Amino acid sequence: MSRTATLLARLAMLVVFLGAWELFPRAGIVNPMLLPPLSQVVSTLGDILARGDFREAIAVTAAEVVVAFLIAVPLGAALGVLLAENAYLGAVFRPMLFYVFSIPKSIFLPMFILAFGIGFGQKVAYATFSTVFIVIMSASAAVESVKAEYLLVAQSYGATRAQILRRVYVPSMMPILLEAVRISMIFNFTGVMIAEMYASRTGVGHMIANWGENFMLPQLFAGVIVLALAAMAFNELVRSLEVRCSRWRS
Amino acid sequence: MQPMAKLKPQPETTRANAVEVTGVSHIYHGRDGAVPALTDIDMTVPAGRFTVIVGPSGCGKTSLLMMLAGLRTPTSGTILCDGRPIPSPDPQRVGVVFQEASLYPWLTALDNVEFPLALKGAPRSERRERAQAMLKLVGLGSFGGRYPHELSGGMKQRVSIARGLVQGPPVLLMDEPFAALDEQTRMTMGHELLRIWDETNKTVVFITHSLTEAVYLADEVLVMSARPGRIIDRVAVDLPRPRTYQMMATDKFGQLRERIWQQIRAKE
Repeated sequence: MSRTATLLARLAMLVVFLGAWELFPRAGIVNPMLLPPLSQVVSTLGDILARGDFREAIAVTAAEVVVAFLIAVPLGAALGVLLAENAYLGAVFRPMLFYVFSIPKSIFLPMFILAFGIGFGQKVAYATFSTVFIVIMSASAAVESVKAEYLLVAQSYGATRAQILRRVYVPSMMPILLEAVRISMIFNFTGVMIAEMYASRTGVGHMIANWGENFMLPQLFAGVIVLALAAMAFNELVRSLEVRCSRWRS
Repeated sequence: MQPMAKLKPQPETTRANAVEVTGVSHIYHGRDGAVPALTDIDMTVPAGRFTVIVGPSGCGKTSLLMMLAGLRTPTSGTILCDGRPIPSPDPQRVGVVFQEASLYPWLTALDNVEFPLALKGAPRSERRERAQAMLKLVGLGSFGGRYPHELSGGMKQRVSIARGLVQGPPVLLMDEPFAALDEQTRMTMGHELLRIWDETNKTVVFITHSLTEAVYLADEVLVMSARPGRIIDRVAVDLPRPRTYQMMATDKFGQLRERIWQQIRAKE
């Protein structure tokens, strides 16, 4: 199948999906109390976007996501590089990190509430905790992707340490690091959402949980659309960078 | 009077010997303590000559090459490249071509060849020009924009040779450069290497496992023993140049090959 045909098929699927969302509740095939028609959700979306409290919630959630991301990614990357470069530290800590990584992080949420309360700090701390492990593992893998031959070649041409870092380590690791950034945002966003939905006074996650508890389905779906669009936008942004930095990969 | 075109270019070094190794030993400090890798190596490579080193796996051939490249320091003895010691890598005196794919996959063929010049901070236009000239020399003038994964094994090694030559070193070290290639490509590349060598008048030190390749390429073959590596035979290859594939079928070629084989087999 040609690329255009694939693209058209995808577009058709989207139209079918959105059309079904509109028509099934209207036709009574699904209960409109559980799935309000798309048009109703969109008009509710317009209403809630105009509301001050919803915009404030978006600002709070965005700030939590950004701060947690800015802590977790550099911290995890630094630890990951350290564990990959230092054989002793790697041998001691990597198995432990691997085990902790496999535990669902949400079971630690009550401890974060006891330690940090239910405010901004707790959301950031919990999201950082949810994210940092995947960044550590990915950064370690990125360092290990730099082959010994690459270093030997650079050395044989008299490269300095700084040149080896800039011209060998960075370009070699870049595709894996960007992938790590993309995936860590998924973990990070999930962490903030779970923390907000579990116990919070503000934030989009908190509002969505509230709407759900009160059977306000049009508002709930409107909130879901906002979050889904934000997540997809970030994902696509990083993916376009990834594609640009990975052209050399076969 | 001889026509100008027939005159071979002068060697780039004015010294008689491009490489002089005297009493070199190397002790490798590994997990099992000190292991002697090389003992008492003496070798002299006159400027413009093609020397091939053969020997069993793990005999320290690569260690020796690393020392010639300034990447390792001998435990004892002296190494002179182009008349001077080589305590650290100096790509203007010694170029290295490594085994298999040592090209950077994130750089195009042209950028790979430019890499050593970029490290030296050479101006961009000069880098481009020299790298392009080197790619042309190795027969890849129109492939500069390709990434390594878009090149065949033989083409990749051509790019590696171009990269090794780009800074104009009088000495080129090659560590089993064609080992990963299939037999036909390997033969073609050997022939190509001799052409490039003839055009540029480099001094070449070439490591290989293949005895046929050794005899086909070399002016002199140095045979090494198993670890700790020593030079156990020096075989002068007095086949005429330019070498042809037909020579491989001659008695002379077979005798030389047999002599080297007996040396290696006796020590294994």
